[in-house]
This record gives sequence, C-alpha cells and structure tokens, in this order.
Amino acid sequence: MSTIAKDEAAVVIIGSGAGGGTMAFELTKAGVPCVVLEAGPFLKPADYENDEWGAFGQMAWLDTRTTSGSWRVAKDFSGLPAWLVKAVGGTTTHWAGATPRFLDYEFKARSTYGDIEGATLLDWPLTLEEMEPFYARAEDAIGSTHTNGRAPLPANNNYKVFANGAERVGYSRYATGPYGTNAEPYDGRPGSIQDGFNFQGDKHTSKWSTAVREIPRALETGLCDLRPESHAVKITHDASGKVDAVLYIDKDGNLHRQAAKAVCVAGNSIETARLLLLSDSNRFPTGLANGSDQVGRNYMRHLTGSMYAWFEKPVNFYRGETMAGIIKDEVGNDPSRGFVGGYYMETLALGPAFLAAFVDPGMWGPDFTNIMDHYENMAGMWIVGEDMPQATNRITLSDTATDQWGLPAPNVHFDDHPNDVAMREYAYEKAEALYKSVGAIGTHRTPPYPSTHNLGTCRMSERPEDGVVNRWGQAHEVPNLFISDGSVMTTGAAANPTLTIVALAIRQAEALSGMLSRGEI
Amino acid sequence: MILSRRFVLRGTACAAALGLASADRLALAGIKIEVDAESKALLLRMIRVAFPHAQFPDAPYERTADAAREGAKASPAKSLMFAEGMHDLAEAGFAEMDDAAALAHLKSIEGTAFFQHVRGTVIVTLYNDPEVWALLGYEGASFDKGGYIDRGFNDLDWLPEPRITEL
Repeated sequence: MSTIAKDEAAVVIIGSGAGGGTMAFELTKAGVPCVVLEAGPFLKPADYENDEWGAFGQMAWLDTRTTSGSWRVAKDFSGLPAWLVKAVGGTTTHWAGATPRFLDYEFKARSTYGDIEGATLLDWPLTLEEMEPFYARAEDAIGSTHTNGRAPLPANNNYKVFANGAERVGYSRYATGPYGTNAEPYDGRPGSIQDGFNFQGDKHTSKWSTAVREIPRALETGLCDLRPESHAVKITHDASGKVDAVLYIDKDGNLHRQAAKAVCVAGNSIETARLLLLSDSNRFPTGLANGSDQVGRNYMRHLTGSMYAWFEKPVNFYRGETMAGIIKDEVGNDPSRGFVGGYYMETLALGPAFLAAFVDPGMWGPDFTNIMDHYENMAGMWIVGEDMPQATNRITLSDTATDQWGLPAPNVHFDDHPNDVAMREYAYEKAEALYKSVGAIGTHRTPPYPSTHNLGTCRMSERPEDGVVNRWGQAHEVPNLFISDGSVMTTGAAANPTLTIVALAIRQAEALSGMLSRGEI
Repeated sequence: MILSRRFVLRGTACAAALGLASADRLALAGIKIEVDAESKALLLRMIRVAFPHAQFPDAPYERTADAAREGAKASPAKSLMFAEGMHDLAEAGFAEMDDAAALAHLKSIEGTAFFQHVRGTVIVTLYNDPEVWALLGYEGASFDKGGYIDRGFNDLDWLPEPRITEL
C-alpha cells in the first residue's frame, strides 16, 4: 500500500469490483500508480457471514434508490432495484461464478436481430475475435473451471437433477461450468469445500473475487492507494474539458479532492451513470460526457426468472456450489421461438430465508407454505438471457429522494420489452418440462430478483451520438475519462457479465497504460 | 364502515369531511393497546392461518408474533395501525372462525397495512429461525463444519450420475 498525495494527479479508479479491481491490478502491475476510491468498507473473508440476511445487511448496497416502470421489482422492492455489494471487491464478493463468454453474434446484435421495434440495438464496436485473447486472460485470472486445462467441479445434488432433466428433454450442452470457483487449488487459493455460501462471500476463498485476488496484489505492488469508505460524488474538469479531479466523501461525511490525470469509473451501471449525471458543469450541462444524452439510457438487467421444482425424494440443493451447472442449448438466435437472442439455464439454490423472500414476493397462504414445506426436496435454476436495450430504460437523478449525503438518489426506470416477456415465458415452459422429465411433483415460476446484472448505461458505440464511450471504454467527449464496468456494454448478450467485464478491463488497462506511456493523456 | 374507520385513523380531516367521525369513535372505544393472553392468541392464530405449516410447533410462530409486535413499535403511527388491526381482527370474530373462514377473512384484509406488516414480519422472521430451518431440512452455517464436501453435497442417489463436462 502506498500513499498518493491528494494534489498529485494520479490515475483514479472509482470502484473496486470486477472492473475497478481488475484495472487497479493491471495498471499497478504495469507500473502505473493508482488511487482506488471504494464507497464500502474492506471486508475480509473472515468477516463474511454464513447467514443470508446477516450477509445482506453486512454488504448489500442499501443507499437510497427509487424505482419506476412496469417491472415487478418496482412493486415488490421499490427501494432495492439492484442487489449489489458495497465493499472492497464490489459485487464480485456476491457473484455466483458462472463465466460463459459472449458469443460472436452477441457482439453484432443489431446486424443479427435486425430492427426490433422499441429496442435501441447496436453492434459493438469490437468483435469476439478481438476479445478472445482477453477472455483467455480473464479466465486465467478468475480460474474458470473447464477452461485452459482447469478441472471441472463435481456434480452436486442440484446439478444431478438439472443435468438429468437436461438429458431427458434432449439438451446436450450441459456441464458444471465454466465457473469461477476452484475445483482444485489454483493461484494460491484452495479448492471448494462445497459449503453452499456464495452470494454471502466465500470464507474459504475458493471463489474468485477482486477482494481476494486483484486488490491484495495491487496493494503488494506498492503502487496502489486504496481508500475504502470513500464515496465519489463528483468528477471535475479543467478549461480544456479534460477531467482533473475526483471529489469524494469519507465515512464521516468530510469532502476530499483527489487530483487526477485520468479517471476510470467502475461503480456498476447505476452508480456510474449517476456519478456522471452528478458531474454536470457549464461545459457539460446535462452531465459529464453526456452530449449524446445517452448517459443512463439503455439500462439492461438481463432477462431473468427462476424455476423451483420439488420431488418425491430429497435433493438438499443448498449444499455445494450454488451455480455450478449450466445449460447452453437455448443460447443462439432462433426467431422461430418467438423472440430474438437466447438464454442460459443455470443451477441456483437459496436458503429458506431468501427463498421465502424471493420465491414470489407478496405471496402467502397455503400455496406459499406448500412451496416452503418441500424445501428439502427442491431443485432450482436461474434463467438468464439477453434483454433488449431501450432508450427509456434509464437511470436518472431523483427530483425528490436523496442519499445519506443529501445528494439526489438514482431512480431506476425499467419496462420489459415484448421480446423479454416472450423469452421469459418460453424459458419457464422449458424449465418446467425439464424438471417434470425427472419427476417434479410441483414447480413454481419465480419472477426476477432485484438486478445483479446491471448493464449498458454508458454504452460503447462506434459513433459518438449513439453512446458514451468508444471501443476502449474512453468517453467520446472526454479523452482522459474511462468507464471500466458493465455500463459500457452495447448490448447485454445472454452470458453472465463478470467474465466480460474483467476481459474488457484487462484490455482497457493495457490501452490506458500505453496511452499514458506515450504521453497521449 | 370499515373503510370509513380507516379514514378516521388516517386523518380526522377526511373523516370530518365525510361526517363519520362520531360514529366511528364509538366503534373504536374498545381498542386495546396492551398485550394480553387474548391478543397473543389472536395474533398467533392469524400467523398460523396465513402461514400454515402443520409440522411446526408454536415456538417459532410465537417468536414471529413477538417480532411483529416489536416491529409495530417503530413509530406511534405504526403502533396505532397495529392496535387498530388487532382490534378489527377481534371485532370480526376471527378467534371463533374455522380455518377456511379465517383464511377467507385474511384474504379480505390482505391489502391493509396491518396485514402487510404481519406478512412481511413472517417472511423475514419465521423463515430466518434456526428451528424452522431444521424442520424444513436446512442446515444453516456450514463453513465452520467444513462445508458439505464430506457431508452430502452429492448424496442424491435417485437419479443416474450425470456427466460434468460437455461432450
């Protein structure tokens, strides 16, 4: 750990999750000193709790947020649009671990799907071919199973039901990964002990997170000044329009200024967009880098839904790695199914506390207790698919609600696109068929949870008027401002986003350190 | 008159405008704010009817009822809402209803703040109770026991062993 003076213009990284944590490690490894501003505390694996509500209270981002739109989350969890982590490591502390790559066609959504009414589809300004070497490096960083010779995780109980069902309904592309948790010791961290606690942070450290890999290694370089409980609230710029400092608030409410020669924003799609909107100025009256009016728009959250099914005999699905099961057969673009794009099916388990809260929010009575009574005999899966970007799905600053600092809270507006609804219905039917094929005596369609995949609010575009950043994640309007998280995703693909966020950050860090060494920034 | 009573409790201006204030004040004369055996039994019954688990003993339900009462102390307005809800339940003869009638009655009040307070408390309390976890077959914290690697993470034996990699 080093200390960088506040008046020394440094590379300032905002956020320490998949994007920010990776940037911090890759840049310091390349010899670039960095200040990392993290809004949350530095929780260590020993601090994590094997308790769903306990862990939620410990690490969830619970700052004031509001919601609007017709999505069900706005009704059931009006103040909790997203389930993210406020701690060093960000949401990599909470992530489950599925690491599929995006597919070639998913970088070309507009060309592949055509003009979909109401959707603001674009092709990415980069291709899978360009991304492949960075995907390989990201998989090595994360230690993704099933890739580069790494061992697969064994089948747990939930997977046994899932995979047998997959086989019986005619799917073939199922496996226990790729998955970002060690099956065997790798990279200095141990193999999984299958403790079933994953969303709560992995005390055993078998699961990759930037809190156990990138941040400690960045600190070891001696070039990283990590400042936990430091909440960035404004990015300022000089007369030429280049960013020159970040203002942030410490845990006691004191305001600080860190001079910057470049700023990398990785606050997750809600806070990243909010910070740019809060950083308005005479030159950027609608928010920093927002001349295109695209900051905050095209918010995507993935088409999600879950299916819980119960059987005559015990499953004990809570034992073992939560999401170490994936079916890839429904990925691909086949409009004859009634929608464009595709989806993955992935194993999922919750404890009784969270199952009760999320299986069907608001539900009660004998139908509800019947579900809970089958807990021991239950299997579960998550459906994660590509949702359509829409200009009106959007992060804005609230006119009325404020956060703990008195600053405008973000409002998250979301309406499902008809394509999202059609895909979800289709996927529910397929999931039911899968579980019935192995003897399910009951099933329940669980609606989307508060979003864990938050994407697209500062999207990458070839043309400045279509997005916020270019193919390097560099703001079209501000050459030393970079967006380093899932906000840059032009479209969301079907894949869980963490691997792609890490791959993009490795690529961006390489580009940025090159620009710095050539004196371009 | 139940609707008008809500106006009274939520704002006397509304009630006065509707000319209903005096009649409803009489109806509320018997409202109780103290906790006694009768009110405890009533709340317990309400929770059991709304969340029936035949195999659960009373203890976790009682802890949940305690949490609902405790949560109602969050503000004076919430205390008033809770006392009124309990009063309405007693007035409706809930204690004497059979299970089907009791369930139907709860259905009729599910939109009320009182019902939603109790429902929300049950979700975060009853199902976060270690005794209930054990009854449902959940084992709770596991890291300190070495996880499930040697304790049954893969003990399901009623289906064939599947492959774990793609073909």
